[in-house]
Amino acid sequence: MKPANRIMKRVLRDGTAAIAAMIIAGASLGYAQENVSVRATLLTGGVPVDDPGAAVWSSAPPATFPMSPQVHWQNRIQEVTVKDVIVRALHDGTQVAVLVEYTDPTQDPDDAAALEFMVGDKKAHFAHGQPMLQVEGGPVNIWFWKNKTGKALDMSAKGFGTLKPQEHQDVTAKGVYSNGTWKVVFARKLLTGHADEDVQITAGQFMSISFAVWDGRKDAVGELVEKGSQKAVSSWWYFRADAPPDYSGYMYAAIAAVLGLGFQFVLIRKLKKGQ
Amino acid sequence: MGALGKPIILMVAMYAFLKFVLPNIPGSAPLPSSLIFLYLLLTAGGIFMFETVSGESKDAFWNPIQRFLTGENIGGLQALRYGVFILFPLLVGWQTYGSTAVSDLPPTESRTIHPAPPGEYTGLSNPVPKTPDNIMQGKGFYAAYCSPCHGGNFDGKGPAARGFIPAPANFADPTTIAMLQESYLFWRIKKGGVGLPIEGAPWKSAMPRWEVELPDEWIWKIILGEYDGAHQSPRTWE
Repeated sequence: MKPANRIMKRVLRDGTAAIAAMIIAGASLGYAQENVSVRATLLTGGVPVDDPGAAVWSSAPPATFPMSPQVHWQNRIQEVTVKDVIVRALHDGTQVAVLVEYTDPTQDPDDAAALEFMVGDKKAHFAHGQPMLQVEGGPVNIWFWKNKTGKALDMSAKGFGTLKPQEHQDVTAKGVYSNGTWKVVFARKLLTGHADEDVQITAGQFMSISFAVWDGRKDAVGELVEKGSQKAVSSWWYFRADAPPDYSGYMYAAIAAVLGLGFQFVLIRKLKKGQ
Repeated sequence: MGALGKPIILMVAMYAFLKFVLPNIPGSAPLPSSLIFLYLLLTAGGIFMFETVSGESKDAFWNPIQRFLTGENIGGLQALRYGVFILFPLLVGWQTYGSTAVSDLPPTESRTIHPAPPGEYTGLSNPVPKTPDNIMQGKGFYAAYCSPCHGGNFDGKGPAARGFIPAPANFADPTTIAMLQESYLFWRIKKGGVGLPIEGAPWKSAMPRWEVELPDEWIWKIILGEYDGAHQSPRTWE
């Protein structure tokens, strides 16, 4: 029996190695998607809604998104200061906080940043929910922060020229400038009572998010270079608040493995008896 | 194990052919794993039918399998037998886990890159004559309005392109304007990203709706300039 035991051990060891390899491959696949989506990591205890420098932000995976000048609608510009935004997010089941970080050589009163979300089930064009000609799209919810006001505006739009602040202001924002970098944290409750104008964030579900940044610098004659529709924008990306851990998959796998084992046992018994 | 050896060799050879040989045949592409699985299933079905067609061949096929499973007189293969018994339940468990686990990947987007244009934009011919003057004017308009995204070299790599997904079309690529008619370009330029039908979702195209800013004649000239600059010709009905 000795050799059989040794062989069993080998099989077990190789099997374990193969499974470990599959798990590692699966984990790296999960990591690779982070640059198409923002993952709000689940925390216990409060989220740092007004602290862009809080240590806990390091527990949220950063995702980098490229920016372009807004060209879809006039007035457009062809060059913008901010080329990328780095985004992190945290939530605790009640509140969500999104940290937007970008390089800007100067701190100006008119520096501003915004997040945009689709509202409801209807899709919306990323340019302020600009109406689609052949299909009816939905509205967008915009969370806007400006350095000089130091606070957030919770807004709605359905196409250029329709942007307006909402009656219910549910969003807070705080920006901190240091060493040529803006860190702006936006925060809100995951759910508000106004599903027709606010994005409702359900843990575990992918939703659409996009970004906008205005560098508030002025040109030689004192005019703002980036303002209104003249801004840096991103396309739609994904946002998802992590769902609480769910271990039921392991349970189902264990049940299936036991059933597989039972099937083998019965099959071999039948075969042995049949002979 | 003779009767079992051939089917195993055949299955392995089939897999190797589908996985490694077929994709390298010119004009072919790597097969999706679901298709490989289907082909292997058909191969296995064929082998099974062939082997069980007569009583003798059936016994010759089944007996080694039975002997292997019951472990009678299989000598050195005993270890392999235990290995199969351990791996089979693990594999079943793994498959179950994979099919019940919540995916970490965002929803897949099946965007139709060139959706059908509305009826009024099919088969229009360019009313602007293809003269050197008109081409030159078209290239001027292109430089002013289109090149920031589509690039001065008509390659989709303009300075404003980097943040946009899908990337602005590369006109030098033979799978873009070279396979489209001029009337199709006229529609896309006039209506832009917001003119896309439902198949064009998720509507991330930043293409402006140029009909609000440019007269039709300019758009037709831009089309002339675009084909000339990208060294392509429009698709025509022969």
